[in-house]
Amino acid sequence: MSEYDRRNQGRGDRGGRKRRYRDDDDFDRRPQRRRYEEPLFAVIRRQLLTIAESAARRVEDDIQGIAKSVADNYDDEEIRRDFVNISLDLVHEQPMKIPFIAGTVLVAHSLKPELGSEIITKAAGALQKYIDTGAWREVKLLIRFLGLLQPLYEGEGIFPLLEELFARAVDLQTASSEDLLGLELVKVIQFTLPYVMLSPASGFEAQASGLLEKTDIIATTPHALVDLVNTFSPEENQSAAGQSVISLMQSQLQREASNGWELKCLPRPWKDLRDPETDEFKSFDSVTKVAFPEITVPSPVPNGPHPLFPEVYLSVYADQEVDTVPSTDDISSSLIRDALVDTINLLDFNRVATAKFLIDIDCYFTPYTFVKRATPFDRMRELAGEIQPWKPEDVAVDAVFSQLFQLPAAEHKLVYYHSVLTECCKIAPAAIAPSLGRAIRFLYNNLDTMDLELSQRFLDWFAHHLSNFGFTWKWSEWTDDLDLPAIHPKIAFINGALDKEIRLSFAQRIKGTLPEPYPKLITSGKEKDTPEFKFASDMAPYAKEGQEIMQLIRKKATDEEIQPVITAIEDQAKSQGVEDPKIPSTDAFVTSICFVGSKSLSHVLSCIDRSKDRLLTIGAESKHARTQIITSVMEYWVDQPGIAINIIDKLLNYTILSPLSVLEWAFVESVAAGTILSKPHVFEMISATVGKVTNRMRQIVAARTQPGLYEPQLTAIDETLSREREDMQTLFKYIEDSIVSIAAGSNDEQMERGDGSGDLPEDVIIRQWGRRWLRVFRRKVAVEEAFISDALANATPLGTEAPAGATDGDLDIADADVDAGVQ
Amino acid sequence: MSLLSVNTVDRLDRPSAYFGKNKRRRYNDEEEQQQQEKADDKLKTATTLYVGNLSFYTTEEQIHELFAKCGEIKRLVMGLDRFNKTPCGFCFVEYYTHQDALDCLKYVGGTKLDERIIRTDLDPGFEEGRQFGRGKSGGQVRDEYREEYDPGRGGYGRAYDEQRQREEDEYGAGR
Repeated sequence: MSEYDRRNQGRGDRGGRKRRYRDDDDFDRRPQRRRYEEPLFAVIRRQLLTIAESAARRVEDDIQGIAKSVADNYDDEEIRRDFVNISLDLVHEQPMKIPFIAGTVLVAHSLKPELGSEIITKAAGALQKYIDTGAWREVKLLIRFLGLLQPLYEGEGIFPLLEELFARAVDLQTASSEDLLGLELVKVIQFTLPYVMLSPASGFEAQASGLLEKTDIIATTPHALVDLVNTFSPEENQSAAGQSVISLMQSQLQREASNGWELKCLPRPWKDLRDPETDEFKSFDSVTKVAFPEITVPSPVPNGPHPLFPEVYLSVYADQEVDTVPSTDDISSSLIRDALVDTINLLDFNRVATAKFLIDIDCYFTPYTFVKRATPFDRMRELAGEIQPWKPEDVAVDAVFSQLFQLPAAEHKLVYYHSVLTECCKIAPAAIAPSLGRAIRFLYNNLDTMDLELSQRFLDWFAHHLSNFGFTWKWSEWTDDLDLPAIHPKIAFINGALDKEIRLSFAQRIKGTLPEPYPKLITSGKEKDTPEFKFASDMAPYAKEGQEIMQLIRKKATDEEIQPVITAIEDQAKSQGVEDPKIPSTDAFVTSICFVGSKSLSHVLSCIDRSKDRLLTIGAESKHARTQIITSVMEYWVDQPGIAINIIDKLLNYTILSPLSVLEWAFVESVAAGTILSKPHVFEMISATVGKVTNRMRQIVAARTQPGLYEPQLTAIDETLSREREDMQTLFKYIEDSIVSIAAGSNDEQMERGDGSGDLPEDVIIRQWGRRWLRVFRRKVAVEEAFISDALANATPLGTEAPAGATDGDLDIADADVDAGVQ
Repeated sequence: MSLLSVNTVDRLDRPSAYFGKNKRRRYNDEEEQQQQEKADDKLKTATTLYVGNLSFYTTEEQIHELFAKCGEIKRLVMGLDRFNKTPCGFCFVEYYTHQDALDCLKYVGGTKLDERIIRTDLDPGFEEGRQFGRGKSGGQVRDEYREEYDPGRGGYGRAYDEQRQREEDEYGAGR
């Protein structure tokens, strides 16, 4: 921290000091130049970029000020160009400002109609591009902006375009019941309508209701994939399972239509505008109308690079005694969420700016939509019953969690959402921390029915978040839960969280942050930097040989020197009737590698690298020896599973282990009557292993579908693809078969437990773990298969020859090309 | 998907001014200018990050745990004291892709690891020798003259500490 604290101190007393830190440039120590008048274009630029950001200024004044400056200086090309470009840039990147930008354009148009036309034309050009490339979020934002300018158009304005989008949605839906693109188009229409109705244009109620009636069937028919991407599986927790975003929005829109489009949360910055000269309220009806720009919607419409999935509405504040966020009956819930989610996902390149927008959320919606910032929850309780404004921090945090918990995958790396929450906490700790606390409680209390992948994301975020804030958490409120069975999801969470905290820090430090009786959860083994070498004890079988091997590895001895000791172990084992003598010899070898390499990851990596050939041979020779490699690693690092997982990961890269062997280790060797499913680190390891396989698969698909690929490469790569695809299917089948039996309680070890009735309280929990695992991996199968068939649908067909005259020498699609990831 | 060439808020995934800082002064000849362009090009595809302001006690495993959140790590090189080969508070993290490195700048740079705010910067790539501190006493230059006490980075700056000691001794002797 010192580097950061010091920056502003002690300046000027060390003349000629070298520039030492990157930020030093920010402070110019030279005498300042004489003040100069800021040029007008710079003023306008700044005003536009920061529009609505300050609660201290009336946004209406800024809107009128900007519009007037631009209209008065219409002949200044730089000002005009800045106005048009920056307005559209803000539409692209800061969706919460769209109503304010639209307000500015409305006023500017009333003063100088050419300005309105120019910006509409430019927006239409961009819109056309996005429609042609299938960038539906950008389409949504630009149509929203154009929709807010509805009073400026002749005739029905934007409605014919919406009708046309709807027609495409119908085509897609009629063609296939699995279609998702049509649903996306419906979403675009749904999230445009309120803004058109918000605009100062009047008399379009009939068109809006007409469209709403049409979207109803598509929006309310549940898509087969909705259940699969739900935060809570409806089978496990029907009441917590969320509705799909479009079905929710559909009913909210209908309610709003019957209430005369009140849309109370959305700002109408044009409403209180008075003409500075006549002091009358501004009307936009009388201004010069323009024709709505020509937009062509191709048929069928394309989809962009991102695969589509249904979205489900999640709120972590859903079941509180006092509502702090809009209920799902209220259209505000969807409108605010939509604006926030787009802001979060569009601004991933500056998490600090994202966090600032989230904290300032109350600036961008109708005043008094929210209670004052940092109003404590208890105060909300007192306010309940009176007017019902919401807590801005809860609404903001809710939106971040909805993205962190997006299934099947979040738009950005999960750590981005972690970092946004961290920044929010840094900007307004007193306001955000209690909100996070209540979110954590909700998630913790629903751990047993939450999607397993999401509870893992929760675990990951929780530990990472605490690591940024001194590892402080009110553990004491969960103390009673420590009496639950060891395999209970809550115990798994607590142990998993402590393990992840330790991975980011160290055991002693974490122990120091825990109240009684938690410290006992951190065993003495976890506090050791180097776990003991089991062969060091003479009591251990093969102790002498084990020590010898360890010494040889430490000395970097050659393979020939090691072999006799290995043989000695195997001979001994054989004489004792051990079925597979490779098992004890592998154990001694791998445990020694772990011990010698225990100093750090790079130590163990160089040990593995030196022993690579022997390990590869072991893996190839015997299936049992291969799983023994994993067992030895996992046992040596039993107290620090993070390190073990890391080593397994590298062994997979070296192809010393196969993905299947990791599964065999988990579901056969270590299944422990299914209790292994309760271990967060095992889920982490299996997910990572499967992730390696699916990533490789995707790389091959990308190679297969790259444009300009011709025979004979086409066939070669297609064969690789088919082979790998089969391997992947085998892998998923193995997982499915292994877990199905656990979920059904018919795993052999489960049957032998207790009285064999399968009715022990633990059995119920194990079967639930089984169902939750199954759900995750079945979803992965569905997602990967959909990805492959979507991609291949547009791939060059086999047998395509290079067009005459084309060179085929510059393609790098050798098999080796897709072997990335191997160190 | 955005068509913007300039964003409405700053980007956090730009390299710092560190590389090219010395060379930017004036392009004396063409060769120098070419060198500079080469360095800029390297940063455009860089997969390596320099990570700074680590505690001397932060381990490879801790770094791995945090940085793997942005993608699989290809290589991790700990920064060492030139003389006694102990960690001296920086490292290089190499990813497989440029995008992972950029994401790391955006999402991890400026957050905490081992309870210290760490710094990340795009780096043209690790070369043998760069793992060692370049300060007079073996560590990083910034730890030579640091006037603040930083328990995670060996107390006071070494040169500063030495001078302080000397002054104290002389003061004692003078009395």
